[in-house]
Formats: sequence, C-alpha cells, structure tokens
Amino acid sequence: MAGLELRKVYKRFAAIEVIHGVDLEVEPGEFVVFVGPSGCGKSTLLRMIAGLEPISDGQLLIGGQDVTDVPAVKRGLAMVFQSYALYPHMSVRKNLSFGLETIGAPKAEIVQKVAEAAEILQITPLLDRKPGQLSGGQRQRVAIGRAIVREPRIFLFDEPLSNLDAELRMQMRVEINKLHRRLGATMIFVTHDQVEAMTLADRIVVLRAGVVEQVGTPLDLYNHPANTFVAGFIGSPRMNLLAASVTAQSGEDVQVTIEGGKSVSLRLADPVPVGTRVTLGVRPEALVPVEEGHGLMRGEVQITEQMGGESFVYVGLPNGRTVTLEIAGQPRITPGELMEVGVEGGRIHLFGPDEQVLRQV
Amino acid sequence: MSQKPISRRQAALRHAVLILASIVMIYPLLWMVMSSFKPDNLIFSDPMALPEALNWDNYVNGWNALAVSFTTFYRNSFIIAILAVIGNVLACSLTAFAFARLEFRGRKIWFALMMGTLMLPYHVTLVPQYVLFQNLGWVNTFLPLIVPKFMAVDAFFIFLMVQFFRGIPREIDEAAVMDGCGPWRIYWRIMLPLSTPVLATAAIFSFIWTYDDFLGPLIYLNRMQDYTVPLALRAFIDSSGGESLFGQMFAMSTLSLVPVFIVFLAFQKLLIRGVAMGALKR
Repeated sequence: MAGLELRKVYKRFAAIEVIHGVDLEVEPGEFVVFVGPSGCGKSTLLRMIAGLEPISDGQLLIGGQDVTDVPAVKRGLAMVFQSYALYPHMSVRKNLSFGLETIGAPKAEIVQKVAEAAEILQITPLLDRKPGQLSGGQRQRVAIGRAIVREPRIFLFDEPLSNLDAELRMQMRVEINKLHRRLGATMIFVTHDQVEAMTLADRIVVLRAGVVEQVGTPLDLYNHPANTFVAGFIGSPRMNLLAASVTAQSGEDVQVTIEGGKSVSLRLADPVPVGTRVTLGVRPEALVPVEEGHGLMRGEVQITEQMGGESFVYVGLPNGRTVTLEIAGQPRITPGELMEVGVEGGRIHLFGPDEQVLRQV
Repeated sequence: MSQKPISRRQAALRHAVLILASIVMIYPLLWMVMSSFKPDNLIFSDPMALPEALNWDNYVNGWNALAVSFTTFYRNSFIIAILAVIGNVLACSLTAFAFARLEFRGRKIWFALMMGTLMLPYHVTLVPQYVLFQNLGWVNTFLPLIVPKFMAVDAFFIFLMVQFFRGIPREIDEAAVMDGCGPWRIYWRIMLPLSTPVLATAAIFSFIWTYDDFLGPLIYLNRMQDYTVPLALRAFIDSSGGESLFGQMFAMSTLSLVPVFIVFLAFQKLLIRGVAMGALKR
C-alpha cells in the first residue's frame, strides 16, 4: 500500500500535447476515480502511472520515491484492463501465477497466494479452466485476481466494467468496493461512467481534454461543482444549466434574470457587474412544479419518464431550451400541459462567463 | 419448384467439369504410381494399361539401385528439411515479432525492404550466393541449405507471422509487461504459444518446400553420399548409362511423396486455419 503523487505531468505524442501538466496526490489506501468523457486523457494518465506510456515531462512519485523513469514492472503496480487481457492459452491458475513466476517467487508462496486470491474472488472451482471457457463476469474476476496475487502497492483499473452488462456491472461494482475495504489497498480506477465514479470513489478526479477540472469527494463534486463542465458531468440526469444575465447589483446582492424566465436574487462573495452573462445551474431534484406566478420559469411539458420511485419531467421553455425535473413518486403529469417551475430550497449554482463557479455567501 | 430440375442439371454439369479437371490434374500422379508397378518394357510400350499385378520389385530393387542406398538420401533430406523448419520457424517468428511489436529506428523502411525481397527471384541471387558459400568453404556441405534459414530469409513467412501477431491484442502484451515480462519473455511465453496456427503453417510449408527443393541441393551438393531424395531420383537416369531404370525411378518417386502426404494430412487443419487467420485477421 502506497500513496502516489503526480507533479506537473505532461504527455505529448509527437507535437500533440494530450496531458497538460497534471498535479495530483493520492493518499495510501485511497480509492480514486478518474472520470471524464472519452478522449479526455484519463486512460493515458493511468497508463503513464502504470509505466506503459512514458511520461513526457514532470514527475511521478510512488510511496515517496521518484519512479518517473522506472520500468513498469519495478513500480510494483498491478493493472486490470478493459478487455481483461487474460492469457488465452493459460489456465486460470496459470494466469494468476504467471506474474509471480516471472519475478521468481518461491513455489509454495505462489500456490498459497493463488489459492487466497481465488478464495477472495470465489473462482476456486474455475482454476483449471481456460479463459475462453469463462463468462464475462468470471473473466473479470480472474483479471482482478491476477492483480491481487501480486500484492501491488497500487491497483490500477482501466474501465474494467465497461464490457459487462448492466446487471453484472452493478454486481462487480459492489464487489470491487468490498475488495477495496478488505484489502485496504490504494486503487485508481478509470471510467467514463459518472455513476461508477460516484459509487466507488473516495475522491473523484474529473478530467477534460487533458486537464484536471476538479478533484473532490463525490458529494463535494455534486454539491459544489467548480465549473459548468463538472456540474453537467456529475449527476444523472444532468444539472440544468440555464443562460442568464446579471440585471441588478448592490453590494454582495445580485439579481440574475434567466433567459425566457424570471429573476432570482443571490448573494455572491465576489459580486459581478450588471450585464455579465452567467449560467445558472439547478439540479433536477431541486426543481418543483409550483403554482402559477410563484415559479422561475414556465413551459410546456414535453415528456414524462416514470421510473417508479421517481419521475423525470422534461419541460420546454419559450426560448427553446429544456429543463429536467426529478419528482419523487408517480405524479400524474401529461405531455402538453403548461407547468410553472420553481426552485425548492436555495440550491442554485451560478457560473461566470469563464464557466467557473461564482461563490455564494 | 420449377427451378429444381435446372439447378440439378447445373449441379451435375458442374460436377462433371470438376471431376474432369480433377482427373486431368491427378493423371500424371496416377500414371507414375501405376508405372511404378510395371516392368520397364511395359511402361512406354503400353502407357495407358493398368499394371497386371502389384509387382513390388521396382520398390525393392530401386531402394539400393544406386551406388548409395536411399536410406542415406532420406536421412540427408530429413536432416536438411527438419533443420530448415526449425530455423525458419524460430528466425522468422522472432523477426516478425520485432516488426509487429517493437519500436526501433527505420522499422517501416526495413519492413518494406524485407517485403521487397519477395519480388526477388531465387535465381537472381544464385550466383553471388554460390560465390559466397564457395569462399566460406561450404560447398559440398548441407550448410548453404540450412544456415540461411536461421537468418530469417523467408520474407513470406515473416509477412504471414507479422499479420498474425498484429491480430493478437496489444493489451495482452501490456498485461505481460505489468507481470514483469521483457520482450524476450513476451515472445516466448505469450506470442509463440498464441501463434500455433501460423507457426504450423510456416513449418509445413518450410518442410514441403525444402524437402521438394531440387535446385539448391543440385548446386551445392556434388557427392552422391550427400544427395537429397530429389537429386537421387534424377540419378536414376544419369547413372544408368544406356539403360534407364524408369520403373525403379517411379517407384522411388512414389515413395518420396509419402512424407509430404503424411505431413500435409497430419497438419491440414492447422494449415488451413493458419492461412485463413493470417489472411483475414487485421
């Protein structure tokens, strides 16, 4: 178990820079998830940590030691690949023991560690099968088992669940969570699925185009997104982001008017001048239908999605934009009816013209 | 329903054509096998006739008809063919691994050059090669026929293997890297075991081509005790002076096909899989 530190890490492929100076610290035993849309560099960053991609510039420290130029095998890490990458010609047992054999571990130790890992992952009955004879979920377990036997300082997961069906994905998510608690190991997990990120992570690192947008606990990111990108990326359904502008200001108080809607008063730590174009963010669950005249905006219900426990209502605004409401229970709302929408509680986020959050007091 | 008789007639026609073509193709072989059971005087006087009985004399006498027994010729052929197979499979797969997986300066140019040698006829390099081996003192030994095979000279096999290796997911290599493997171990423990179809293909073709080779041994081997089977077969006509031992030659020719048949039949499945995968997998 070890911590990890990235210091101003860059990655360039020829002239193209894909990772732009990432700084990050991972505590020993922490479960950190890299999340972001495809092409954001999260897998590249993980591969750089693993040692599969050279680091163009900057420093990588594992357990306080500089390993920037240390080859993959000497970094003491283990990786679980998206496609599992099991050795097709070897039995499950051999797949698990191969890494230990390579580093010349004693036979008795190998047997013991393989048995332990198989026990943890409940794959003991499969030990003599070939990967081709296993289901997707079983292969995934073997791939994780291969990492466990190495007793790595850090576990790396590269989108390990994306090849599984929804049901299995949920199961494996729970299992990986349990595994983390059981082993207490440092884990870095890459995914594009924000639900996976929210449920697994101690801390989430949101990446966009090779830049870290925000680092924080799942609820931190959910409750206090640093910019519109994180606000839109974390949470499902995504946060409603509405174009607005500052129409009045006195001291810390500003009045923000939503395009095609009404005004709302907010108190900002650093007030912005009148006329500034801002973005107003409201989570779907913070929006509620209200009586006429009491809401922020008004529009026509387009679609209602009944999930059973809650419903998602999509309301089209006069300016062509759509807002999403999450309403508990099974309300009777029919498409076509007019709805006045208000905000419950004070959960309104405000972002400036540079997409960064404007702190409220 | 009305189409059925037509398609049946078409099928019959198609089969007739195919059978005819097969006969044309296989006729020389059948003729040789039949002639091997006939006495010399009947082979050309009545070439179309079936042998009256299965007369094994040609086989028994032919084996020892030349100054050196066919036991020696077969031994020579097998030594050369088996070493050539080992050399080709090892050297070509290693070269292919480098082209498919390793990063080195000028990789693309080297690969293009290697592919270029495919277009170079064997006969073009024959004379310079002979001079080279003459200077090394290798003429009249098996070395010119074996040593080059350990230097990955067969671009066709390299190409076949490169294509196959490229079809093996890179993540498997990377998993092996994480497991502590260097390039050698990846080659030996991961790539080779995963490539049995293409290795078998290369092995079978190497065996058949080397075993059947006539020109190479003809140029480099001059003493009869070094002859391979194809060279020895020609000696039936040379050594007999006025009298040609055609029956015995056909008998030995027929026998010489047996190893090729066995190899081909035994590995046919692997061969077809190897060729198909090599060609279709990106």
